[in-house]
Amino acid sequence: MNLPNYFMVDLPEEASLSTEMILEACGTLKRNRERYLAPRSTSQMVRLLAELADNWTQPDFPFRRLLLDQSPRLTGFSSQTMASGLDLIFRNITVDSLTSLLRQELGHEARLDELRGSDESTSKLAIAIPPILQVHFTAGNLPAPGFISVLLGLLLKSAQFVKAPSQSSLPLRLLAHSIYDIDPKLGACLEVACWRGGAVPWESELLSQADCITVTGSDDTVQTVRQKAPPNKRFVAYGQRVSFGFLTRDAMSGYKVKRWAENAASDVASWDQHGCLSPHVFYVQDGGETTPERFAELLAAELAKKELTEPRAPLPTHEAAAIATRRSFYEVRASHANHTRQWKSENSTAWTVVYEHDPQFQLSCLNRFVYVKPVADLDQLLAHAEVIREKVSTVGLAAVDDEARILARSLARWGVSRVCRLGKMQNPPLSWRHDGRPVLGDLIAWCDWEHAY
Amino acid sequence: MTTPLTLSSLANHLREFIKASSTDTSNQPGYVNLELQFENLALDLFQLQVQLNEPYRRFLLARGVEPSSVRHWTQIPFLPISAFKTSECSCLPASERNRVFLSSGTSQQTSRSQHFHSLESMEVYEASALPWFHSHYLPDFDGWRGRLFGGPLDPPDFLFLTPSPAHCPNSSLVTMFGMIQKEFAPISSTFAGRVSADGSWSIDPKLVSSSLQQATDFLRPLYILGTALSCVELVALLESFPSNSQCALPDGSRLLETGGYKGRSISISPSELRKKLSLRLNLPPESIIAEYGMSELSSQAYDLVVGTPNPTPSGSPSPRSFLFPPWVRTRIVSPETGAEVPVGEVGLLQVLDLANVFSIAPIQTEDLAKRHIKGFELLGRAPGSVDKGCSLASHGVLPTPA
Repeated sequence: MNLPNYFMVDLPEEASLSTEMILEACGTLKRNRERYLAPRSTSQMVRLLAELADNWTQPDFPFRRLLLDQSPRLTGFSSQTMASGLDLIFRNITVDSLTSLLRQELGHEARLDELRGSDESTSKLAIAIPPILQVHFTAGNLPAPGFISVLLGLLLKSAQFVKAPSQSSLPLRLLAHSIYDIDPKLGACLEVACWRGGAVPWESELLSQADCITVTGSDDTVQTVRQKAPPNKRFVAYGQRVSFGFLTRDAMSGYKVKRWAENAASDVASWDQHGCLSPHVFYVQDGGETTPERFAELLAAELAKKELTEPRAPLPTHEAAAIATRRSFYEVRASHANHTRQWKSENSTAWTVVYEHDPQFQLSCLNRFVYVKPVADLDQLLAHAEVIREKVSTVGLAAVDDEARILARSLARWGVSRVCRLGKMQNPPLSWRHDGRPVLGDLIAWCDWEHAY
Repeated sequence: MTTPLTLSSLANHLREFIKASSTDTSNQPGYVNLELQFENLALDLFQLQVQLNEPYRRFLLARGVEPSSVRHWTQIPFLPISAFKTSECSCLPASERNRVFLSSGTSQQTSRSQHFHSLESMEVYEASALPWFHSHYLPDFDGWRGRLFGGPLDPPDFLFLTPSPAHCPNSSLVTMFGMIQKEFAPISSTFAGRVSADGSWSIDPKLVSSSLQQATDFLRPLYILGTALSCVELVALLESFPSNSQCALPDGSRLLETGGYKGRSISISPSELRKKLSLRLNLPPESIIAEYGMSELSSQAYDLVVGTPNPTPSGSPSPRSFLFPPWVRTRIVSPETGAEVPVGEVGLLQVLDLANVFSIAPIQTEDLAKRHIKGFELLGRAPGSVDKGCSLASHGVLPTPA
């Protein structure tokens, strides 16, 4: 499949960008938005996005096929892992989910188009004003956050300039082309470019052209962009986060244990455990019919199965070495005493499970390396996870409903921004409040009309 | 009648091997014999260490390795270096241990490696360290004892950029420097490093300046030895000298840089550091050599023999190869499969150091290296964690497994 040279990211590697090009692009994007995007209704955009998303779930969709085909070479992720990840993103984008999102965020789905009251109030009408130009700095490790930023940007009818990660620009490039393909006028309101990090002369120009800047990445990246961004610009940042799972005593009793192990393995294997939603540790409550150690063993078996259907990406030597070094450490520990055990793939670093008695939270080296730790209860868990308290994204729960409600409340008070069922950690709904922030709310500005009645 | 093997007898065999290997070359008929000697020593030592080093024995048991199944040194399982942190990795009973070398820890690490030594193991240490050091750093003379008493040349001055052994009894590096000083520079040497309250080392600018001054004023060659960090400090000191009083060390001067950043990170690469040292001290690049060692080993590797001109015709330096002495073998293994990587590939370094008679000879390090035809190129420590995208980096935030 030949992609036309339509976006900056399509240019050959040697072609260099310049401040003039960037400025011109921003001007064009804003004009095109005014002409082609702004006049459309929200419901038109909703239908279009749902159609686009549906296309992406179809096996024969040429852009999907190309991405899956090239994924191992250009992103590292195996085709199966990428396919799984794409489905997680696009199956969640439907007319219903988009409409629900708009209602959640704006109070009424038509509020991008006109001044409307909400169900609660008719005396105050409001209209949501989206940014004219959004500039996105996307993370290098997985495509999902970048995709969501672009699709939500379309929903808001903003022009968008996306900085794709230089080491894996293909996913965003293909998304952009699929948008152009479904409607060239929409493609005209979007630009995708990539350049290596570090100081480039056009970055501050680009940032000053934006009405809204979004950054997804390491805390260092967020800080760097924040420092360069003019202070008056809307700035939405998604920095480093970790996630973990908690399995209750009740969940560890009865016939569902193996299912929970499957779910846990899914959460680890998605995107090879990269991204803020991936669990580093599964905390398992003592006292169930299945001990935490036995659960670790079951999890290992499920990860071994996953490796057959969704193999983990091959790693550069230093990342494989990080896993090998950790494995060596735990192998020695396990040989001294029975408070540590390890299960791992043979002849590869594809997956590793470490069971250790010490409940202190431990960061994983990722790439499907996960800890299982026993705890007496949630209180003990939280005491030992204090070190990451400010940095938790998602907790995956295996619990009966009544208990889950209580746990969710405690976790919320502790500072977790998302609690979900174990197995769904990497599958947040479209309305997911990333790091607890409003999805669209942080991007838009309101105008309220308090008309006197 | 064969006497039962003991570590002491093996230590004696090793010392004989060291002597034999320093007089023998690969061209001589005795070479094959040396290889066999190494093989036998390695296997004998392995069998003894399995019995006497408990953490190693447990490690093999957990792995399901039957010691009797090991028939070649390449089959000897390598013990991960973390064992020195998490257990007493030694064949010495507590009563015989009279010193311990500690790895340099960062403020974040809660445990450091402990390598226990006895009088006897320190003799082995010295027997291993000095000849290999001599053949790399002092290839142009026979040792000082003779020359001190009426020899034709004045002994050079040694400048150690570390604190003295009295101040750092737990540092293997400084202890080795102490041995070097006693053997090669008993008269004229300076330890120009200081230990601060937090345990970090820094150079004493006055002492260093005056050593440099003496060398240039009296045209006496200066032999400098220090860690990479202290060499960085040295460069900074030299850069602070006014431009009309630059330092040009006389011919014969040389510098040994021993790696080791003592837990702090430096942004300068080894070859960049060498360039700066060469420029600032007026030392030809072949007078600056690097050493690779650690508290867990008894032997050291060097990347050049002082005075060896750089072989590439283009003039640009090829990456140097670190070489251990003949009583040490290394393997670079794939982190995926554990198999030895082909020449030119990168993997994790394994070291079989026969001089570790009283602790453990086969050690799996956490260092990445590229396999050369002979020796290896060091690439740095394998990362303890992966820093990517939204995932939290561990630098300074959370402890690595302790």
